[in-house]
Parts: sequence; C-alpha cells; structure tokens
Amino acid sequence: MANVSVAAEWQLLINRYYRKPEIYQMRWKHIDLSRNKIACAPFGGPIAVIRDDSKIVQLYSESALRKLRIFNSAGVLLSETVWKHPGGRLIGMSWTEDQTLICIVQDGTIYRYNIHGECLDPNYSMGKECFEQNVIECVFWANGVVCLTEAGKLFCVMDFKEIKSFKLGDVGIEAEEELPHCMAVIDPQYIASGNVRVLLGIGEGIVIVDEDEVTHIEGEKVQGPVQKISVTRDGNWLACFMHDGRLVVMNMNFEALFQYQCESALPPEQMVWCAMDSVLLYWDDMLLLVGPSSEDSVRYIYDEPVFLIAECDGVRILSNTSMEFLQMVPDSTVSIFKIGSTSPASLLFDALDHFDRRSAKADENLRLIKSALPEAVEACIDAAGHEFDASRQQTLLRAASYGQAFSSNFERERIQEMSKTLRVLNAVRNPEIGIPLSIQQYKTLTAPVLIARLINAHQHLLSLRISEYLGMNQEVVIMHWACAKITASSAFPDAALLEILLDKLRLCKGISYAAVAAHADKSGRRKLAAMLVEHEPRSSKQVPLLLSIGEEDTALMKAIESGDTDLVYLVLFHIWQKRPALEFFGTIQARPLARDMFITYARCYKHEFLKDFFLSTGQLQEVAFLLWKESWERGRNPMASKGSPLHGPRIKLIEKSHNLFAETKENTFESKAAEEHAKLLRIQHELEVATKQAIFVDSSISDTIRTCIVLGNDKFASKVKTEFKVSEKRWYWLKVFALATVRNWDALEKFSREKRPPVGYRPFVEACIEADEKGEALKYIPKLADPGERAEAYARVGMAKEAADAASQAKDGELLGRLRMSFAQNTAASSLFDTLRDRLSFQGVP
Amino acid sequence: MAKVSQIPNLDNSPLNLRSLREQSQRELVNILKNVRGKKCLVIDPKLSGSLSLIIQTSVLMEYGVELRHLSADPLETDISKIIYLVRSQFELMKFISSQVHNDISKGLQREYHVYFVPRREVVCEKVLEEEKVHHLMTIGEYPLYMVPFDEDVISFELDCVNKEFQVDGDTSSLWHIAKAIHKLESFSGLIPNVRAKGRCSVRVADILTRMQTEEPVNSHDMGIPEINTVILLDREVDMVTPMCSQLTYEGLIDEFFHINNGSVELDASILGAQQQEGKKMKHPLNSSDKLFKETRDLNFEVVVQVLRQKATSMKEDYAEMTSTNQSVSELKDFVKKLNSLPEMTRHINLAQHLTTFTSKQSFLARLNMEHTIVEAESYDICFEHIEELIHKQEPLISVLRLLILFSVTNSGLPKKHFDYLRRELLHSYGFEHIATLNNLEKAGLLRKQESKSNWLTVKRALQLVVEDTDTANPNDISYVFSGYAPLSIRLVHHAIRSGWRPMEEILRLLPGPHSETKRGGFPHSASSESMSVAGGRVADGRRSLVLVVFIGGVTFAEIAALRFLSAQEGMAYDVMVATTKMISGNSLTESYVEKLG
Repeated sequence: MANVSVAAEWQLLINRYYRKPEIYQMRWKHIDLSRNKIACAPFGGPIAVIRDDSKIVQLYSESALRKLRIFNSAGVLLSETVWKHPGGRLIGMSWTEDQTLICIVQDGTIYRYNIHGECLDPNYSMGKECFEQNVIECVFWANGVVCLTEAGKLFCVMDFKEIKSFKLGDVGIEAEEELPHCMAVIDPQYIASGNVRVLLGIGEGIVIVDEDEVTHIEGEKVQGPVQKISVTRDGNWLACFMHDGRLVVMNMNFEALFQYQCESALPPEQMVWCAMDSVLLYWDDMLLLVGPSSEDSVRYIYDEPVFLIAECDGVRILSNTSMEFLQMVPDSTVSIFKIGSTSPASLLFDALDHFDRRSAKADENLRLIKSALPEAVEACIDAAGHEFDASRQQTLLRAASYGQAFSSNFERERIQEMSKTLRVLNAVRNPEIGIPLSIQQYKTLTAPVLIARLINAHQHLLSLRISEYLGMNQEVVIMHWACAKITASSAFPDAALLEILLDKLRLCKGISYAAVAAHADKSGRRKLAAMLVEHEPRSSKQVPLLLSIGEEDTALMKAIESGDTDLVYLVLFHIWQKRPALEFFGTIQARPLARDMFITYARCYKHEFLKDFFLSTGQLQEVAFLLWKESWERGRNPMASKGSPLHGPRIKLIEKSHNLFAETKENTFESKAAEEHAKLLRIQHELEVATKQAIFVDSSISDTIRTCIVLGNDKFASKVKTEFKVSEKRWYWLKVFALATVRNWDALEKFSREKRPPVGYRPFVEACIEADEKGEALKYIPKLADPGERAEAYARVGMAKEAADAASQAKDGELLGRLRMSFAQNTAASSLFDTLRDRLSFQGVP
Repeated sequence: MAKVSQIPNLDNSPLNLRSLREQSQRELVNILKNVRGKKCLVIDPKLSGSLSLIIQTSVLMEYGVELRHLSADPLETDISKIIYLVRSQFELMKFISSQVHNDISKGLQREYHVYFVPRREVVCEKVLEEEKVHHLMTIGEYPLYMVPFDEDVISFELDCVNKEFQVDGDTSSLWHIAKAIHKLESFSGLIPNVRAKGRCSVRVADILTRMQTEEPVNSHDMGIPEINTVILLDREVDMVTPMCSQLTYEGLIDEFFHINNGSVELDASILGAQQQEGKKMKHPLNSSDKLFKETRDLNFEVVVQVLRQKATSMKEDYAEMTSTNQSVSELKDFVKKLNSLPEMTRHINLAQHLTTFTSKQSFLARLNMEHTIVEAESYDICFEHIEELIHKQEPLISVLRLLILFSVTNSGLPKKHFDYLRRELLHSYGFEHIATLNNLEKAGLLRKQESKSNWLTVKRALQLVVEDTDTANPNDISYVFSGYAPLSIRLVHHAIRSGWRPMEEILRLLPGPHSETKRGGFPHSASSESMSVAGGRVADGRRSLVLVVFIGGVTFAEIAALRFLSAQEGMAYDVMVATTKMISGNSLTESYVEKLG
C-alpha cells in the first residue's frame, strides 16, 4: 500500500512522529557552507552568502575580493556584489522582516542591502563606543539587534526601520575572561514593557539585561556554566546547553522542566527550537533532535555541513546540496498514513484507492466510516495542506472530494479554499521563485506580506496573478511595477514608456498616478512625470506634484478647476514666491478665482502689495477704498487723539481717495461722498475747537446736527445743514427729536409754528409720545392731516373715543379691528369699536 | 421629566444623523486623548456654539479639559498644554499668534496644538508662518463639516457664504458644502438626482461630481440610496423671503430674540423660572420638546389659541380629577399630562412675551410695508416710507433689510433714487457705511435699476401672493407669512414634483443658471424623471428622502413651509434640510455690513 512508504520516512520521538522531506536540490554550484557566513531569512526567504573572513580558507580559482551573493531558498542566484566595505571583519548578518539584509562589521557600522544586492544609503553606526571597543558578537531578532563589544558592553537597535542605537544596562564585565559564553535575545514584542531583554551566560549563572536593569541569576539555580542558549519564538522557554553536556529546558523563572544528557560535552555549533516542542542541536556531522520531557532523541547523520533555519512550525535544514524541512508530522497526516491506522480519514483515503481500482471495497470502507465522514474529509483536506508534494496534495484532495460526495453536511467551500491556497503555495515554491512556505507559515505571514515580498523580488507578474486570484487589491503591485519599470527603462523614450505604463495602470481603478509621476520625477524623468500626472484624477495629489515639477500654470489651472480654494492658495503662494510682482499680477489677473483669493488674503496681510496690484491693473476705485479705510485706522491710532493735528494726514488720505474716485467714470457717487467726508471732518474739527468738546469727530452729519441742537447751538446746526444741503424733511425730523431729547417743549412749539412743516405734524406727535408727554402730544395730534394717523395717535395716548371717531372718519375697518384689540382690556372702549365696525360692516377682520 | 437638552434627540431622523454626530463626538474625544494629561482647550467662540450641539461640556471635562474662548487677549491658565480648536480664519490666526507671542515674552514654555475645523488650510498656516509661530505648533484637523440641528435639519455652519461669494469672489465655502454632501453620501449612498439653481449651487453640483470621480462613493455595497434627490438652491435666487418678517412661532422667536444654535436666551422670569430678576436663561428649542414640535411651524396667531386650548383642557381634566372617582389608568394618563405642565407654562409665558412685541404698532406697520413691497404695486408709498425711516435714524439693519426687499423686487432703484437714498444713509449713519453700501451693490442687493423687474411675472406665475390665507387650517405654504408663499419653497416644491424642465421659463427670470444631473447607474431611478408617488420607497417601507440644500442660509419660516409640504398627502418623500446657516433677515443683512471705521 502507498501509505506504508509515506510513514516509512518518519521518525518517532517519544510519541510523536517527525519527518524531514527534501524540498529542493540546491541549484547552486560550488557553495560550501563551511567556508561561508550565511544568513537565511525565515518564511522561506532569501539566503545571503559571503566568504567567512574569520576563517582561514583556501582560495581556489576565485578572486581574493569577497563577493556577497544572494540566493533564493532553492539556490538560484538573485544577485551578487563585491564586498569592499571598511570597518573590519563582518560580525553579524541577518535579514529583517521587510527583507533588508543587515550587515554589521567590527567597528559597529551597519550596512544595508536589498534583495537585489544594492547597498542602501545611508550607512549607520552603532555609536562611538562600539567604534572604539569593537563589536564581537551580534544577536538579531526580527527587526533589531543586540551587539556585544570587546569591553563587554551591550548596544541595541530596536527597529531597523528607524535605526537608533542605544546602550543597554551595564553588566560590569572588566576582563576578557569574564565575557559571556553565550547570548540570546527575547523579541521585545513578547516583553510586557516592550523593551528588549538579553540573556547572557556568564560565569556559573545567567545574567538578564534590560534597557536599564541588570539581574543576576546565580549559579546554584542554573547549575551552569551555560555554553549555549536558545529561546522559543514566543519567549516562554529556554534551552540551555551546559558545560557538562546537559541540555536543560527551563521556563523564564529558570525552573528546569527536563534535562537530557548529551554524549558530547562540547557545545553544539548550532542549537535551535523546532517549533515549540523540541530542540535541534548540531555538531559537526550530526543533528540531534531532543523532545520535551524525556530522554528520548532522534539523530540524523550528515556528511556535509548544514545550516539550521528556525521557522514557526519547524526547522529548515540547509546543506550544500539540499534544503529540507524538519517538522512534526501533523495529526491529520498521522491519522491517514500511520501504519495500521484505522481512522476514518485513513479509511476514506483507502476507499479512494479502491474506487480508482474499481474495487467494491471502496463502498465497504465508506460504510465503516459512516457518521465520521465529515471529520475524515476534513482530515484529508488538512493533510493535503501540509504536503509539499503536489501529486500527494492532489490525491488527498481527491479523497476529500470523494468523501464529500457522500456527506451532506459539509462546508463545500473548504476544498475549494484549500485548492486555492495550495495553488498559491505551489506557485511560490517553484524553484525559480524559491519560497518554500509551509501552509502554517503562509497563514502566519499573510497573503499581503507574501505579495509584498514577491514585489520586492520583482516578481510582479506572479504577484499580480496571485492578488487577482485571491481577489485582493492589485494597486500595490501595479504601482510598484510602474516605479520599477521607470527605474529600469532609462533608455526608453518618454512617449513609448508612458503608453506601456498607462496600459497597466488602467487595470487598477483609483491608483495614484501622482505617486508614479513623483517617482518618474525623482528618477530624473520630468517630462514623463508631467505626462503621467495629467492622468491623476485627484487634484489634491495632482496639484502639489505639478508644482514640484515646475508646471505652475497647469497647477493653477487644475487647482481652479477643482474648486478647492486651499489648492488655489497653495499654487498662489508658490508662484508669488517665484515670480516678479508684475508677472505675478499678470498671472492672477487672468484668473478671477485666483485673483479674488489673492485679494482676500492680501486685504488682511499685504495692504501695500495689494495697492500695487490694484494700481498695476488700473482698479483705482479699489485703491481709493483702501486709502479711505486707512484714514480710519489713522483715526483709531491713539496718537491721533481727537482734535489733534493728526487730522491733517487723515483728511489728506480721504482727499486722495476722493481724487482717485474722481479719475474713474463710474464712481462719482463715492467721489462726492469722500469729498463730503473730508469736509465733515474739517467742520467737526472746528466744532470741537469752538465748543471745546471732543464729541463731534466721527459722528454722522445727522448726529452732528442733533448734537448741535441739543447743545443749543442752532447757528452751527444751521451751518451744517446748509453746508451739506440737508433736506427740509430730514432737518425737521432731526430738530424735532433733538428738542424732545432735551425736553425743550417751548422751542418745539415755536419750531412747529415757524412755517407749515414739510413732513406734517407727525414728527412732533411721535417725539412727544415717545417722551411720554401726552399733553404736548395733544397740541399736535389734531393737526395731523390723515384721519387714520390721527386715530392711531389718539389710541397711543389712550383716548379711545377720539381714536374711534377718527378711525370711522378714515373708514378703515382693519384699523378699527386693531384698535379694538389694543383696547381689549377696556370693555367700554371695545364695545365702542364693535359698534362702529358693525356700522361700517367690514368683514374678515378678526 | 427630563429637561429638554440643547443636543437634539435624533432618534426619529429619517437619516442616520445620530451616527454622524457620534462620529464627530469620537473624533473630538480622540483629539483630546492624543494630548496626555491636563490641557487647556481654547475654542473659537463661534465653534463652541456648534460644539454645544455635538457634545456636552461635562464630557470634555472628563478628559482633563479646561475650557477657554479664543480672543485677542492673552491666555490666562496654568496649564502648559494648549489645544486650539479653530475654524480656518485669518483673524483667529492672529489671535493665536498674539497669545503665543505673549507667552514667549513672559518666558512661558507651552505645548501648542492647533486643530483646524474642518481642515487645515495653506493660507492659515501661511499666516502662522508670517507671525513666526508655525514651527511651535503641532497641527491637526477636526473634520466637522456639518452639525445636526434637529431631526431634519443639518447646518454646515458657514457664516457668510453669500457675502463671501458675491462680494469677495471667495468660493471656499462651496468646496466645503460639496465635501459635506459627499461625506453624507458615504453614509447614505450616492444621491442619484442632483438639481441646482443659482451660481453657487451649480458650482457645488460640479464639485460634487468631481469629488465622485476623485474619491468615489461606492454605490454598489449600499443598495438603494437613502437620499433620492438633492436640490441645491442659492439664497441669491430668493432674497425676498428672508427679508420678510417670519410669522411662525419659531420664526418670530428668532426675529425678536434670536435663536442661537437651537436655543434662545431670555430673562429667567419670562420662562417662569423661580430665579432672581434679570438673570438670563437658555431655553432649548428643538423637536425633542413635544409641545414645541407641535407648535413651532404654526402661524403665531394660531399658536396662542392652541396653547390656550391645551391649558383649558388641562384645567378641565384637573377639575374632573378632583371631583369624581378615577380609575388607576385614567389617573396615570392625567399624571402623564401633568408632566408636560412645566413645558406648557414655559411656552405660554414665551408666547405671551412675544405678543407684547407683535402687537406693537411699529411691527404691524412694518408687516404692512413688507406686504406692500411684495405686492409691488405702490412704488411711491414704499419709497417715502423708507426715506422716512432713514430720516428718523431707525436701526440701520432694519432699514437696510426693507431697502433690500424694495430694491430686489424692483430689480434695483432708478439712479436718482438710488443715489439719493445712499446719500441720506451716509449722512444719517456715517460715511463709514460706504463699505456696506459698496458690498450691497456688488451683491446686487441694493443697486441701480438697469432693466424692468421680473418680480411681477414671477409673483404671478408662482402664485406667491395668496389672498384669503386661512392661517388656522392652512392649505398652502403661504400661511407662514400670512399671505405670501415663500419663493424658495415654491421652487423646491416644483423641483420635487417635476424637476426643472417644466418651469425653465420662470427659472430664467431668476438669478443664476440651473442644472439637473443624474449620477451613478441606478436603473430603477432612471424612470423616475417626474418623481411619482410610488417612486421613492426604501426597502423597509420608509419614504425615501429629498435633501434640500440652501446655500446662503434658510429661515425657520421656510423650514416650516417645507415641513408643511412634506406632511401633505400625495407627497412621496421625506424632506431633509441642509443649510449653510440658520438665518433671519437681520443676520443676513448684517453679514454685508462692513464699517470702514
């Protein structure tokens, strides 16, 4: 049976099976791991290889210059570059999460490379102390590093995205002998404080170093000296290799869980956790897998050097010739392939085999499974997911599909979903791509990150296909492609390149053309940038870019079209700074919105400049308004207290404004007004001097007249009246109210007799009523010509009968009704109105 | 009974305004959380009015906030973290700069955060740069584009849209309006029909279309859009209506006491509170107050009667209670009614107080004059009346208001009168008002007559003046002005019923262009050219919505008229009002006033 051969490859450790299928035969040639420093990125990432300068090696037919070479996990060369950095030996090399290769040399300089072997600017330094003391060891985690110097000091970079080195707590190491035997780091994301924590094997015990705290765990507790430490991914467990060949697994309180006595007391070259449940140790030609809580172990013999790469669900084993993946055999796989298994899943898998061979036993099997069928189908799907071998994936999925046909209550999408995932995984596992992700790694990594990595490796087509296949937004892919295309096509003519780019950019709605254009501009293709930005629909992105590529006029046009005044201002200020005033005026004068926005701003902030603008564009009346406005500001200035000679300059401004108005044809009214204003100020000034009272300036003509009358200065009042040709009508209203204000009733009466008032006697009546002088009012009410007015007036002084009489004379029903309302409290009066109204027989009045 | 809050209850809103408001609350709280510890929140006073409709002050206090209003004076506080929350306006930038300079001169080191409402603007930052304080500021945004005023009213809180557009040519507000509507669409779905009348409105419709191409609202996920049609209307199209005195209950309260952010401030004694004389009290006016909801849109004449009836029936109930044996449930009902007693007392007091103003001869004369002007058949009487008002130096705003009404209905004044009245105005109120007059002329509100007025034609065609209006049982919107049907609402009514096409001739007589657009791929709405009665139902049986946007402000009386329309039989849509600002004739006129001095 086929099943047997599968399980034959497994090794049993205590009660669990382990397997290590070969994923790739390495495509590289003449790479000897023992001669090189290696850095492998987890999640099936790239491998960086460089000749180890701490070892003495024989050079064959190769250059003495060292080469940094980057391969994918299948050993396909991605890029290579000559290493010629100063700073001493290369101490540490590791990949970050976004697949930047970090190289740290002896003097603490950090060099960064991308996957294409390009050194990224700038270089960083671990700091002056590192430079002086020399780095001797580096321990990396996903995004950071801790360096140990010869002087026993620890330095840390928390995040390679933002490289800032700082010193950790001082362990107090003085002599070289006291330097730690080994070092491990716990990823800050698993520490509550968010700071990194370093474990050092020093002396007999362990020292814990935090950012500013150092804790010693004594030898009695640890039973050291500790020669090698390895921490699980989640930072919960420690594996320590002791000087006497014991492997001790402890929790973070340093309480031993179990120990295993190794044959060799020599510390292993490499020691890593295999997922969370076993530890893998490597000596020269042997791998030893030690499981939890027992003395059992599995050993593998190698006749070539290997390099171990810890993954979240196992360990990848890289040798000169192959890449293997050591993992615990998943439960579903065990249940199907374990020798002698009678699990439903195993029976289902077997049933498919019978079915293929047209054996009736297929049916028998199915009947045995019965109600456990969904579970069996699920196991087959799950097991398929864990397979690297495509044909076995297929067989397992077929088994699942076969079982599903007999099972009514199974989520049918599961098989589809798994097929989809496996298609993606198989695509990236292809040796040319070389990313051997297991399904669990893929789920941990997530599809968007995988796509980002593919893009980073310039696998645009594949990433586009995958994102399309998974129904994800393709914008990132296309955007990156477009930028990479521009960088790579420096010899291409703009127009042709534009066509190629647009062709792809169109695939994705809402993509930022401006971003691509910005990249083109940065790559020195300004013309292409201009062509691209034309296609950007979002003005808020388009306009700033147009400015940065020097297309100011287009920017202004686009800003205006967008209706977004903020963008208009953005362009405006930009042009304002760059162009001489006259040219600037010309530009904005042609565009009303820009002009008006400029004026609005300048009104508040740049008066003089605004005047220049108006003068240069011939808008004299606007200048005149500005000057007139200024005249008040002069007036408000405390230095220009009333009656002071400063009125001189103020009046001059107004006169200037008057002249400017006069120069235009349309502003005769304003011109006249300015002239009058100047005249008024002069007269008011005189008045203040004459009366020695500073109460005239800045009051209106009418108010000036009133004030004069109130002060009893009729001569001045008349003078103002004649100067400004105040109409008789207005004069009467003003004088009557002024006299009433000072309650000069005699003068009022005299005034009423001067001649027949041009506005009738209403002003007199109103002034008296408002002053609450009923007696005075009654002098004038009978003289009112209009009976309606008379009625109202009588009503206002509370004389119902007279009011009623007048109203009936006026034959105004509406008025009668209203008067009735206002006399509503007074029954006698209201009945009076009712009678009158009935007599007039008006209708529809409330 | 819970006191009616100034923050309106939005549960009955036809749109999900609640979640809109909650989003604004969250955004504000996040700003406060971002600055750790105690902080001094310095708010632009205008904005603080809007915020009072969004969030309770007590909530702000929970985040360690000390509140201040932004002014030209130095900031007095011991707290070292300052958050400025301001609209993007030059003047406010100057205030901030002067406060910062003051701190510097005193050697105070403070942490400054400036949050712009609704977004940061280059021009304001430029001012801060010129004042050399920009580098000291952390700058952020508080994207408050609109404030729900009531279940069916949203305000964009833009003060002087008309003046800025007509006088200064500043169109920033139009972008803001479009952005606000676009934001609303992200909640309610792409609005398929857009109808606009007026220069601003057509521009807003354009910008809205642009925004949809730039940042599309995904129409497919949301199903049927909640808002079927948006009608955009410039205030400029109808400057007659706001200049007439509003005669609804709410409108009159606004005319006389000024409603501010959904509440009116009055002497405590008027509201019947047991407090010492002279103390001012705020009284919230929104639909959470049931009695107010019932009466706010009635003609004031009727309101007095309604209140009287209610009081009488309560009295009768009380008499019954004390005399006969009542069942428990009857007692319960009675107690429920009793609960509304304080509200009722308050409104009776308020109405009584209003009556003292409405019965004044001067007010009645004014109404009379407004009517005469709107009738537009006795030019000379109106001219002389206004002339006299000027001679008597009546308050400038009310004179200008009448003058605008006069000029607008006559398409300007003959040059002789125009110059004469302007001269009389300058002589009576001072030459500094030359700027106001200039503004009004630029805005076309007070200008020289150049052609014959269209007003009579428009008035007749749209039946704006209705004889025999029954204010108690109205059958037409004209009841809100006792005989004048607001032009704006007549237009909206036509636009809802049949779109612009049948009335293009009339539209051409009114200022500004008009437009009608269909957007998005909604096959079902394509047929609803004339929105039929069955046309707009959303899935769950609610009526679909028409959003009416007034650019340049709307009065309470107009909203009353719209509510009246929406309640009519045969009306297939709920109506939602959005406005740049709640206005009255006075506040609208004031926005043009600019003193040189």
